[in-house]
Amino acid sequence: MGNMSAPVRHMLESLAVEVAEAPPISRRTVELGTLHSPEGVCLPYKLNMGNFLEGLERGADTIVTMCGAGKCRFGFYGAVQQTALAKGREVAFCSLDTERLLPDMYRFLRRAAPAAGRLAVAGSIALAVKKLRALDALNDAKNYFGPRADAPQRIIDLCEYGAGEIALADSFAEVNYSRDLIAGVMGSYCRADAPQPPRVALVGEFYVLLEPYANHWIENALIRQGVEVKKFVRAGGWAYAKTLLQTFGLFNEEREYLEQARPYFSHHVGGDGLKSVGTSLWSARQGYDGIIHAFPFGCMPEIVAQYALKNIVADYGLPLLTLSIDEHASDVGIATRLEAFVDCIKRKKNVT
Amino acid sequence: MTISVGIPRALLFHEFGELWQGFFTNLGIPVSVSAATTKTVLDRGASLAVDESCLPLKLYLGHAESLLGCSSHLFVPRIACYHRDYYLCAKFAGLPDIVRNTFGLSADRLIVPDVDGRRPLCGINAVRTAAGAVGRSTFAGLASLRRALAAWRAQSRADGTAGAKVAVIGHSYILHDPLLGGEILALLAGRNVATATPDDIPAGELYAEAKKFAPAVHWQLSAKLAGATRHFALRPDIAGLVLVSCFGCGPDSLVNEYLEQRVLKACGKPYVIISLDEHTGRAGVATRVEAFWDLVEWRRRL
Repeated sequence: MGNMSAPVRHMLESLAVEVAEAPPISRRTVELGTLHSPEGVCLPYKLNMGNFLEGLERGADTIVTMCGAGKCRFGFYGAVQQTALAKGREVAFCSLDTERLLPDMYRFLRRAAPAAGRLAVAGSIALAVKKLRALDALNDAKNYFGPRADAPQRIIDLCEYGAGEIALADSFAEVNYSRDLIAGVMGSYCRADAPQPPRVALVGEFYVLLEPYANHWIENALIRQGVEVKKFVRAGGWAYAKTLLQTFGLFNEEREYLEQARPYFSHHVGGDGLKSVGTSLWSARQGYDGIIHAFPFGCMPEIVAQYALKNIVADYGLPLLTLSIDEHASDVGIATRLEAFVDCIKRKKNVT
Repeated sequence: MTISVGIPRALLFHEFGELWQGFFTNLGIPVSVSAATTKTVLDRGASLAVDESCLPLKLYLGHAESLLGCSSHLFVPRIACYHRDYYLCAKFAGLPDIVRNTFGLSADRLIVPDVDGRRPLCGINAVRTAAGAVGRSTFAGLASLRRALAAWRAQSRADGTAGAKVAVIGHSYILHDPLLGGEILALLAGRNVATATPDDIPAGELYAEAKKFAPAVHWQLSAKLAGATRHFALRPDIAGLVLVSCFGCGPDSLVNEYLEQRVLKACGKPYVIISLDEHTGRAGVATRVEAFWDLVEWRRRL
């Protein structure tokens, strides 16, 4: 899932677990996954399935995945995938419940790496979360500096490079050092007096926003067109909230976004529906120039959110681009709509 | 303005409608329920809804719209979960927000009791909201709910016995709707085929049956379907199973696959999974039901 896999891989390998990482998502992953999935299910399921099958081809014998009980389909992925994968082969299937992520992960690692001590396991989890948060920071820096730089592509490449460095870091200090260094270099590419570029809020479903293959690299495309993107879904922030804060009762997603979403929305609907509404309303009030809502085709919580989003953009006079993505979406189709959307906000910004 | 409450004849109305009607009638509030589904209602709903919404939700919006002119309040409960062990689909939790955002209604025209079985005092709070919205005290509300519940339970129909040949399994709001699953039931009835639906089995039995699945199905309505499928698959007098679903139903898209792999294929009985959408042309459905019934007959002759 985007940048998430590298730190997790490094974490497992540092505990001497042999990892067969699924190859990056490609056309083949999509086709393989679609072939072995129910037709009407959402895109993340199909991509997961493709990842599993390609991972098994590379010799994996245990599949580790996440699963969360709730109103969204994600909570039931594992059950169906397990049945489908068990046909004709021996696979151990381990799913970590997102509601109990820290204890589940700890238990899994203790079993997968029996030689590693308790402290090493706890330390490796903490380092992985730290890395994910550093990657978030780097991505935010890219989104901020990219549209302000003369050559946005250079910032994007720098971010790629930095992500690789951070994934392989062995200590907190190394992570901090790489993050600050790369962010600093990014900053040095920008003029201090660069004008404020148009700002767009990117909201929607977790998986689609985190996996660049699934969202067709929207962020980079926007940066290249000189648009500052604020993405509200972040892997590190999520892992931090779910593992550490939630375990100690310091975080409650529902309470967090409920205040933000009123008066358009007043209840948690599972998945990221409430968050999409809350963050869209926040951005509208902060004077953003447009909202992009991206989610897998048929995503239940996001459809509920869409009813509210339509009203928010109407009330605040904002352009809204809705990207409902399935396995048939093409790079060109998304790019065309994105360009038209950017033209629209740029013209609107110049008029007013 | 005199108070009158409108209840859309869609979604969970088909399970709790009589209870809700009884509650308001006992309080002395006039209740109007929208008329049975017609093509016009569905078309209106489909044009109001976000394109990707599931068919039952589109239908709900159509029904809700037909009530706006004739009632001062709309009753749109927010049922996040009413059974401790299960969730409902996201659309039930968001239903009041969907209705409010679609029609731009002011909050005081909606009666929105919050039903969330995992929260303490949710029952009393729900009654307080519902009774308060029509200007009655919580106490009167509780009394009226007690009477409505007694009447509702007394006429509860499931007896667990239905001499049947074919089991038609689907959400109650699909099977009870004349335009959706009702058509399939009518097709079978037209061929003198006796049918059984999950409603013929007491709910407790269905949940008990559903609990035998591991990992558990965590949507409540889907758990009922899973329990019913397992129940009917094991019953010797059931010769075939029809699974009815709607396009865009999130839980069904996974649970149907799960049931197919784990129950339907294993039980050896003929089965068909029919997915309905809002497009006209019912010949497709009729063809499949007939082909399925031919298969059942053919199997029985063997």
